Amino acid sequence: MHYQGDYYWGYYMPTRSIGSDPMERVVKLASEKAVVIFSLSSCCMCHAVKRLFCGMGVNPTVYELDQDPRGKDLETALMRLLGNSQPVPVVFIGGKLIGAMDRVMASHINGTLVPLLKEAGALWL
Amino acid sequence: MANHRVGETGLTDSGPSSNHHHHHHNIPYAVLHGMNVPQSFMHQEGPAFDFGELEEAIVLQGVKIRNDEAKPPLFTAGRPAATLEMFPSWPMRFQQTPRGSSKSGGESTDSGSGVNTISSKTENQVEPESPISKKTSSLDQQQQVDMASDISRTGTSQNQSAAAKTPQEKRRGSTSEKQLDAKTLRRLAQNREAARKSRLRKKAYVQQLESSRIKLTQLEQDLQRARSQGFFLGGCAGTVGNISSGAAIFDMEYSRWLEDDQRHMSELRTGLNAHLSDSDLRIIVDSYISHYDEIFRLKVAAAKADVFHLITGMWTTPAERCFLWMGGFRPSDLIKMLISQLDPLTEQQVMGIYSLQHSSQQAEEALTQGLEQLQQSLIDTIAGGPFIDGMQQMAVALGKLANLEGFVRQADNLRQQTLHQLSRILTVRQAARCFLMIGEYYGRLRALSSLWASRPRESMMSEDHSCQTTTELQMVQPSQNHFSNF
Repeated sequence: MHYQGDYYWGYYMPTRSIGSDPMERVVKLASEKAVVIFSLSSCCMCHAVKRLFCGMGVNPTVYELDQDPRGKDLETALMRLLGNSQPVPVVFIGGKLIGAMDRVMASHINGTLVPLLKEAGALWL
Repeated sequence: MANHRVGETGLTDSGPSSNHHHHHHNIPYAVLHGMNVPQSFMHQEGPAFDFGELEEAIVLQGVKIRNDEAKPPLFTAGRPAATLEMFPSWPMRFQQTPRGSSKSGGESTDSGSGVNTISSKTENQVEPESPISKKTSSLDQQQQVDMASDISRTGTSQNQSAAAKTPQEKRRGSTSEKQLDAKTLRRLAQNREAARKSRLRKKAYVQQLESSRIKLTQLEQDLQRARSQGFFLGGCAGTVGNISSGAAIFDMEYSRWLEDDQRHMSELRTGLNAHLSDSDLRIIVDSYISHYDEIFRLKVAAAKADVFHLITGMWTTPAERCFLWMGGFRPSDLIKMLISQLDPLTEQQVMGIYSLQHSSQQAEEALTQGLEQLQQSLIDTIAGGPFIDGMQQMAVALGKLANLEGFVRQADNLRQQTLHQLSRILTVRQAARCFLMIGEYYGRLRALSSLWASRPRESMMSEDHSCQTTTELQMVQPSQNHFSNF
């Protein structure tokens, strides 16, 4: 698992546009890695989703929004994206939005999650 | 009734009041006084006692007593109360009155009402005539009317209740037979009018009483049912008091769901035995899945209202509670139970089922770990440091507790998805059998709970035996022989 929260964003983003749209940031961050999880360090459901992927042998990229200076904006953007009152956890695989915990679990049960992970290169058999 | 007087005084009174006597057959005396009257009695045929007549008679009694032609004071004044009060006070009044007036002679063929033949306390030479007496003797009245004497005396075969008229006549007769002048006639007519109105009022009142009585019994039945349901659920769930309204509501909905479950299962059974077509069976299977979707929907609301009720399993039976995972059944356990019984399966199906079992195990593990982190965080909050800022700590702890709802919801979501996936992997027929097995399994588990609760607790032998049973259950292999009834 890669925690991006410990570093300044500038470190990883050569061109830092000030006041960039949070939604754009979300999309950008989501497409950079195979499996991206937006989380809060205090959130237990986020912990559950992280354990799920680790248990499957996947190495997700986790963004702890409470450790991001502009995390609040990202949370708002995610809430709008999901139409949900809970901003986290949100999972992107191969840049594509999977959803919150219920969608992730449903797709795992109905067998669509693993093919997606393989497609994104996050899982090898 | 007029004819009596006709006979005596030559006057005719075949007015509306006589007709009314026919209409009020079915207000026997007893009903007005709320006595327990057998139905047959209430619906007796024949002219019922005519209160109007009675009132007239009473009035005329009063007239006679006061030796005063002119007034029916009791009758007109304060009538609504008077009419009802009159009866209790009959004995008193009538005790004074009858003077040799009762000469029982003939038989009064009419007036089948009960009141007529109450044996007067005083003397009453009247023999209750057969139609009347039989009916009244069952009443065991205390009010006594001297009517009987008068009735019998008339001996006319009028089919209207002649009763009231006769005493009046008799009184009249005993005092002065020819005193029916115009004034008195007018008064009597007024009295009859008033009597009729009074009868109508009484009828309306009685009908009102009747309908209220029916309503009351219905309400009582509903209350009984609800209370018994509540107690049953309370016993089932282990606590009777201290149950929140959200929990109580859910318990009631769940018990109704269980009844529905029985219905669905018998549908599945008959569908399988009848060898229905796949499309027909599909309908039944889909409806069973919707039936499960419904309980998950109900649990969402219940989790919001009272998550502890769900998570502690107080809504289930003890044996089910033993295997409870996050407020419900553990999906991987269910699949383990089903795997051996779902044969024959194609290879693809076998793979599908094993993969389902595997992914549900992973999901369960993830949720369990998430819940453990929540519990740890909660412990840290409550235990943490000197309890200086108690309220703040409590507020934080409350916020963390709120996350429990999310976990129960995710667990139910997992259960629901598992059932849906099962129906996708299996053929219609296999799915029907599968759901039947699931329903029967939990039915047996529930039955086990009640058997356990009512087991005799004596020897060590039985203890060992029950230990064995538990291990068997843990292996999740229900024995085919036992509980076949369930």
